[in-house]
Amino acid sequence: MTRTRTPGISRRSTLALMGAGAMSVAAPWVARAQAKTIKIGMPTILSGRVAQLGTSSRNAVLLEVEKVNAAGGLAGRQIEMVIRDSKGQPQEAARVARELVNTDGCEWLIDGEASSGSFAVHEVARDLGVLCVHTCSEASSLTADPKQHIPNAFRCVRQGIHDSIVGGSYAAAISKAKGLKKWATCSPDYAYGRDTTGEFTLYLKRFAPDVEVISDSWPKLFQPDYTEVVTKILQAKPQALYSCLWGGDLTSWIDQANIYAMFGQMEVFAVNMADYTALTVVKNLPKGIHSGNRYIKTFPATPENAAWGDAYKAKYNEYPTNWSWQNATAVMFLAEAAKKVNSTDGKKIAEVLKGLTIKCPFGADGTVTMRGDDHTLVGYAIGWGTTIPQEPYVPEVKAGDWKTIFELEAEWKKSKGYT
Amino acid sequence: MTELEAGCAERLAPARDVAGLHRYRDVLIALIAFAVLASLPLFSSSKSLLDFVIRCSAYGLFATSLNLLVGYTGLTSFGHGMFFGLGAYSFGLIMQKLGVSIPVAFVATLAITAVIAAVIGAICVRLKEIYFAFVTLAFQMLIHSTILSWASFTGGDQGLRGGIPRPAFLGINLADHAHLYVASCALLILGLLAMRQIAQSPFGYTLRMIRDNAARASFLGIDVWRAKLTVFVLAALFASMGGMVMALFVSGAYPEFAYWTISGEGIFINMLGGVSTFLGPMAGTVLLLLLNDTVTRFTDYHGIVLGVVILFFALGLRKGLLDFVAEWFAHRRDAGEGR
Repeated sequence: MTRTRTPGISRRSTLALMGAGAMSVAAPWVARAQAKTIKIGMPTILSGRVAQLGTSSRNAVLLEVEKVNAAGGLAGRQIEMVIRDSKGQPQEAARVARELVNTDGCEWLIDGEASSGSFAVHEVARDLGVLCVHTCSEASSLTADPKQHIPNAFRCVRQGIHDSIVGGSYAAAISKAKGLKKWATCSPDYAYGRDTTGEFTLYLKRFAPDVEVISDSWPKLFQPDYTEVVTKILQAKPQALYSCLWGGDLTSWIDQANIYAMFGQMEVFAVNMADYTALTVVKNLPKGIHSGNRYIKTFPATPENAAWGDAYKAKYNEYPTNWSWQNATAVMFLAEAAKKVNSTDGKKIAEVLKGLTIKCPFGADGTVTMRGDDHTLVGYAIGWGTTIPQEPYVPEVKAGDWKTIFELEAEWKKSKGYT
Repeated sequence: MTELEAGCAERLAPARDVAGLHRYRDVLIALIAFAVLASLPLFSSSKSLLDFVIRCSAYGLFATSLNLLVGYTGLTSFGHGMFFGLGAYSFGLIMQKLGVSIPVAFVATLAITAVIAAVIGAICVRLKEIYFAFVTLAFQMLIHSTILSWASFTGGDQGLRGGIPRPAFLGINLADHAHLYVASCALLILGLLAMRQIAQSPFGYTLRMIRDNAARASFLGIDVWRAKLTVFVLAALFASMGGMVMALFVSGAYPEFAYWTISGEGIFINMLGGVSTFLGPMAGTVLLLLLNDTVTRFTDYHGIVLGVVILFFALGLRKGLLDFVAEWFAHRRDAGEGR
C-alpha cells in the first residue's frame, strides 16, 4: 500500500500565519503603550428595530468628541471612541462592555444601552470599577434605587418620574380649564409603558383629583396593527387620552388612529411626540397633540440649542433625537470634569462629577447638574406643548418647574422605599 | 464452570479490558481538557479569553443538551431556551431573595427545572416533528411572557437588577473572576462528561433507536414516551446549568435569556457544529462565538456575515463542521486502506 503525502500548509505559510497571529495578539498592548489617546468604550444598539437609538447616540458623541479633541482633548489626551453593537441583548452588552475594557483598553465607558442592557453594563461597571456614564436608559430605578448605587457610575439621561410629574401637572391644568374628567390611557405593554403611565396618572390625579381613568389599552411593543386599540378607545368615549408610545409604534398608532379621526374627538397627551423621529415620520401630524419635549431645537429657545441642532443636522443630514442630546451632554460632563482635575483618572473624574454643574445648551437655565447623592442628571429642559404639522412642530413649550419636580420626586422616592 | 464456559470467559476477558479502557478514556479526556482549560490563565493574562471560555461553557452546555434531543432522539425542540432562562432566573432569584449558599441554590434550581421540565415534557413528547417543535416554542413564549408580566418578582423587561450575590463557599469565591472561570470550566467538563455517559449508555442507544424508528422500539417493548420524557428532563437540567453559568457571568438574568432567539441560537450552533458527533455542538459554540465576537468588532452588518456562514454550511457542506471532518477522516482512512 502506498500513501502519497497530501500537500498541506507550507512552512512559509505557517510562519506567516504565526507571525500574523502574534501581531494580532500583541497589537493591542503595543498600541496601548504607544498611545497618548484615551479610549472610551461605548456599547449601544446599532442593529435591529431600535438601531436609531445607537446611531443617533453615536452621532452625538462623535460630534462632541470632535470638539473636545479640537480643543486639545481631555487633559491633553485625544479621545478615541470605540463603539460596538450589542444588538439589544443584555448578555451581549455585558460581553461587549467587558471586552472594551479588558481587550481594547478603554478607560471609561459611555453606556448607550436601553432598559435591561443598561443594567447589564451597570454590573460590568460594578465588577470592573471602571467609570461609566449611562446615556440612554430612562428607568428611574437605575439611579434612584440605592441597591444600584456604585461610586463609579452616573446617569446622564432624563427620567420617567420627572416627565410624569411635569406631564401630570401640565395635563391637570388643561383638565381643569377644559373640564376633562374622563381619561383613557394607551401605552406599550412593558415596564417603561406601565410605570410611566402609572406615574403620570398618579400626578394627574394629585393635581386634578376629580379625574377618572375609564379605559386602558396596552398594545404590545412593536405591534403592527392598532385597530383593536383605537376602536376600544373610541368606544369608551374619553375626553382625554394619555400615551407613552414611542418611535415607530407611536407613528404607526397615529397614522392608524387618523383613519378613525380619533384626534378630533378627544384631547391627546403623547409624552414622546415632540421628537423629530416621530414628528417628521407621521404622514398627517394632527394639530394640537400635547407632548412632552424629547429633543426639539426650539426648546429651550436659546441660540445655543438651535445652533447645536443645526450643526447636528448639517453633519448627519437628519435631526438629533432625545438620545442625541443626552449623549452629547455626557461628553460635555466628562470634558468639564477632566478639565477641572486636569487628569483622566476615572476615580478623580467620578469624584468631581458628583454635584458638577456645567453650561449646556439643553439646560432649563442654560446649565445642567449631575446630582451628587444619586449620580443622576437634573436641571435639563423639560416641558410640554402642543404640536402643529410643520416646523417648528411645537411652537410653544411650557417649561416644567424643577422645584416642584424635586419635591415630588423626593416623595416618590420615599414611597418606593428608596430613601 | 464447564470447559466451554471457561473458554468463553478467557475470550471475553480482553474485550472487557477494552470496554473498561473505553469507559475511562472519556474520563481521562475530560480530566486532560479540564487541566488544559484551568491552566489557561497561567499562559495568558487576557481576561477576554477567560470571558470567552465562560460564555462557551454556558452556551456549550445548552447546545450539547439540545443535541441530546435533536441529534440523539430526533426531537427538534424550538423552545429549549426556556430552560436556559429558567436556570438563570431560578438561580438569580434564589440567591437574591433567599440568600442561601451557591451549592444550595444550584441544586434547588436543578430541582425546579426538573419539575417544570417534567410537566412541560409530559405534554410535549406525545407529539411528533413539527407539532413537538411548535408546542415547545409555545411553552417557551409562555415562560417568557410570564417573566415580562410578573414584574414585581422577576423585574419584568429590565431583568433581575442589583447583581446576583456570590458568597464564598468551600474556599471558592465566584465574585473573583479567576474562580468563576475555573468553576465554569468544571461545570462544562462535568456536564459534557455526564451527557457523554448518557449518550453512550444503553439508554442513549435506546434514544437512537427511537430516533431511527420509534415504532420498532415500541414493538421491542420500550416505553417510548417515558424514554423521551426522561431525555427531555435530562436535557433541560443541562440547559439550566448553562443558564446558571450565564447568570453568574453577567451577574443578572434578563428576559432575553428565555426568548425564542436563544433556542434559535441553539439550533444554529448545532447546525454549525454538527449533530452526529458528540462534540459537534461544542465546536459549533466555539465557532459561533468566535464569529460573533470577531464580526461585531468590524461591522454593524454582522447578520449578513452570519447568514452567509450558515448558508455555506447548509448549502455548501450540507452538514455541520465536525460531521464534515469526521466524514473526511473516514473517507481518508478508507482510501488509505485501499477500500
